[in-house]
Amino acid sequence: MANKGIPVEMNFSQHISGQFNSDLEAIRSQMMEMGGLVERQVANAIEAITTGDTTPADDIIRREDDVDRMEVAIDQECTQILVRRQPAASDLRMVLAVSRVVRDLERIGDEATKIAVHALEVSGSTNGGYCQQSIRYMGTEVGKMISGALNAFARNDVDGALDVVRNDKLVDQQYSAALRELITYMMEDPRSISQAINILWILRAIERIGDHARNISEQVIYVVSGADVRHSSISEMEERAHKDKDDSSSTGA
Amino acid sequence: MSIIENHQTDGEPFCDSPKLKARGVGVFYGDKQAIFDVSLDIGANEVIALIGPSGCGKSTFLRCLNRMNDTIDICRITGEILLDDEDIYAPKIDVVPLRARVGMVFQKPNPFPKTIFDNVAYGPRIHGLVNHRHELEEIVEQSLRRAGLWSEVKDRLDAPGTGLSGGQQQRLCIARTIAVDPEVILMDEPCSALDPIATARIEELIDELRDNYTIAIVTHSMQQAARVSQRTAYFHLGQLIEVNPTDLVFTKPQHALTEAYITGRFG
Amino acid sequence: MTDQLTTTRSKVEQGMARRRRAEGRFRLYGVLSVGFGLLCLVVLFGNILSQGSSAFRQTVLQAEILLDQEYLGLNNQSPVNELRNGNYEGLIKQYLRNTAEVSSRSERRALYGLVSVGAHWQLQDAVLANPDLLGSTLSIELIMDDNVDQWFKHERDEGGAGRLNELQLGWLEQWVAEGRLKSRFSTTFFTNGDSREPELAGVHGAIMGTLLTLMVTFLLSFPIGVAAAIYLEEFAPKNRITEIVEININNLAAVPSITFGLLGLAIFINIFGVSRSTPLIGGLVLTLMTLPTIIISGRAAIKSVPPSIREAAFGLGASKMQVVFHHVLPLAMPGMLTGTIIGMAQALGETAPLLMIGMIAFVVDVPGFITDPSTVLPVQIFLWSDSPEQAFTERTSGAIIVLLTFLIMMNTVAVWLRRRLERRW
Repeated sequence: MANKGIPVEMNFSQHISGQFNSDLEAIRSQMMEMGGLVERQVANAIEAITTGDTTPADDIIRREDDVDRMEVAIDQECTQILVRRQPAASDLRMVLAVSRVVRDLERIGDEATKIAVHALEVSGSTNGGYCQQSIRYMGTEVGKMISGALNAFARNDVDGALDVVRNDKLVDQQYSAALRELITYMMEDPRSISQAINILWILRAIERIGDHARNISEQVIYVVSGADVRHSSISEMEERAHKDKDDSSSTGA
Repeated sequence: MSIIENHQTDGEPFCDSPKLKARGVGVFYGDKQAIFDVSLDIGANEVIALIGPSGCGKSTFLRCLNRMNDTIDICRITGEILLDDEDIYAPKIDVVPLRARVGMVFQKPNPFPKTIFDNVAYGPRIHGLVNHRHELEEIVEQSLRRAGLWSEVKDRLDAPGTGLSGGQQQRLCIARTIAVDPEVILMDEPCSALDPIATARIEELIDELRDNYTIAIVTHSMQQAARVSQRTAYFHLGQLIEVNPTDLVFTKPQHALTEAYITGRFG
Repeated sequence: MTDQLTTTRSKVEQGMARRRRAEGRFRLYGVLSVGFGLLCLVVLFGNILSQGSSAFRQTVLQAEILLDQEYLGLNNQSPVNELRNGNYEGLIKQYLRNTAEVSSRSERRALYGLVSVGAHWQLQDAVLANPDLLGSTLSIELIMDDNVDQWFKHERDEGGAGRLNELQLGWLEQWVAEGRLKSRFSTTFFTNGDSREPELAGVHGAIMGTLLTLMVTFLLSFPIGVAAAIYLEEFAPKNRITEIVEININNLAAVPSITFGLLGLAIFINIFGVSRSTPLIGGLVLTLMTLPTIIISGRAAIKSVPPSIREAAFGLGASKMQVVFHHVLPLAMPGMLTGTIIGMAQALGETAPLLMIGMIAFVVDVPGFITDPSTVLPVQIFLWSDSPEQAFTERTSGAIIVLLTFLIMMNTVAVWLRRRLERRW
């Protein structure tokens, strides 16, 4: 469909209420800030595991509270906007998405803490080096996923979000491979089981972080196109995201 | 502000079992065109909400549906409006029976300065629907019951209708409208002069009336449109921009103008 | 910021005194103008009342007159026309000669002149009402001449003589001393028509003429005016012709009323041959004059009916006629009635156009129907104010009081009617 001659003089980017604009902007930027914090938490946790240095791990556990507080604060502001402004359409989707994203971010924070806790346990032992390759690879990958999802959110970038979803597939595959590797270790030497379980938890946590990053990306698609793509396959997701995006971009250009 | 020309309505302006069909309706006030080529179905037993910024033509369009615009001399209408596949602007159609079939409730509660009973009885009387006093009493009671006003006024049917509260007056007006047993009820911002509780009552009433009547409601309150309607039509500068199921319009409007209006970016 | 605030404040404070003074001045002007109006009203009413109140009293002589059957040549069997032609005047003269001593012819004339020339009608009326009185002595209050009346009411207190001579004064003082000359409420003022003799002149004819004229005016102008107002406001297409009609109606309301008199003379009398000087022609002319007022106020009343009521009725499927007659007209009626009564009040006070159609004629008889010659109150006032006799001055004021009473009554009815009609809704 071609452009239907929308009055070009009109500026639709701003609400009539300036306060509403700044409220929406506030939850968005606070969410980004929280995302940045969580991203650092994850990076530190991976670092703690791969270097065996326990200082960042302690740091992570301390900052966990900050993440929780931010989640509550942002969620409260979302509630306030819902109550005061009764947002509709894209505003409504934005507020709902922010509320969901901060929950995912908080979970990511939890997972980072779990990694840090296990990192402390692993650091003392001699043979804590199982699956170091996989951990490093997956860690970097989920780190990129988080930042990718947040960037996609910031730019309303559906393609970026879809990339994150695709990467989650890779992380899942790497997780399965690492799992098989661990099982091999455990079968070879039953004494390594307790240590291997720690590693297992860490791998599991990283994999969960990937899932949460995927959820955040799904919210980006929801905000931009209005399609709720949770629990759908990648191909479905691509199809719906682009279909709906075409609809709205053609009219909303 | 430039005018959108030849806009093709987005969404689904047509439905499966239409009661009223507007096809290419244009309205002129003298030389000025107020409505451009609007085509829209109003389905049987549905509530359709017409929304849009002030002066967008939604009220004008609503008034075309029972030819209330006839009272304005300079008003001219093109295109056709079909009620049960019969053109209501055809020369052989008389507006008097038409308005009995397509009733109207107005923005400001406007009961006649008569008793409550006479207000409701007026329509049946002028249309000669009843022969006996007891039949009339029955119709009045039934209408007041349907409008949810019976229990409040049954002891003072002889009191003046203008002595009721705003919300009661509006329900009296609705009772008066349904007393002639219309097929379609047009409501022109029926709650704009009412407090929230009275508004909630009317909205509840609209929901109940949907079983028996087809309802088109013009409203400035988007929340109200979202609450009471099944479909929502968005008008802008005399054009019908978008018609879609209400839940879709308020979460994912198709057209950027609709989006901008319902999110409060202009209006 | 605070500096700016304080300067703003101080500026406002400075201005306050000036603003209060201006307000005070304005109020003072208002009070003064209302006071001036009230003062004028009080002076006017005071003047009229003080001059006119004496018109309601009449000086009479208490007399016992023997209705001598032989002198009159009548008995209680005589036919009415004979009873009517009896020499009652002679009886009165005889009575006067008996009660005062007169010698010369000129003295006799002076004595007879004390009693009104219409006094014998009193005797005649009494006999006609009851022929059995013949032969008995009738106790009657003879109406005195206007000179005696004026002297007794006004000059006597100041020791003046008025237009009476010494001899007459002597007789009068004697009667006063005997308690026979006295002042009583004047019924003749309300029961008689016009007369050349002030003491016999009354407003009955004028009141009847006014009522009949107003009746004609009302019966014609109200239905026509209301119908015209409804048609113009509700049904007439908006085009050049109706526009011209509208403008002309508005212009008519401003046309000097004497023009309507000329119109009535030219059209109703000269072309249609309506007889002049009757309530019918008067009512026709006044109808022309009141119509614009009624139409304009009627249209205003119709316009002020809230459009929401019309919409409500149209929305229910009422036809144009039903909307107008069920809703618009009942709501507009109080306003229309008010306009009508204002128009009627104007008509009540109108003199000029009636002069043109001969209602200034001297009419003694009280009109009984709209085709009888008659006059109306304001014209009667105009006539009396023009008469040379001093006694007519107080009659003029008395008639003005009657006219004002009429106006007040009409306005009261208007207010009452409006209240009543408005309460129904």
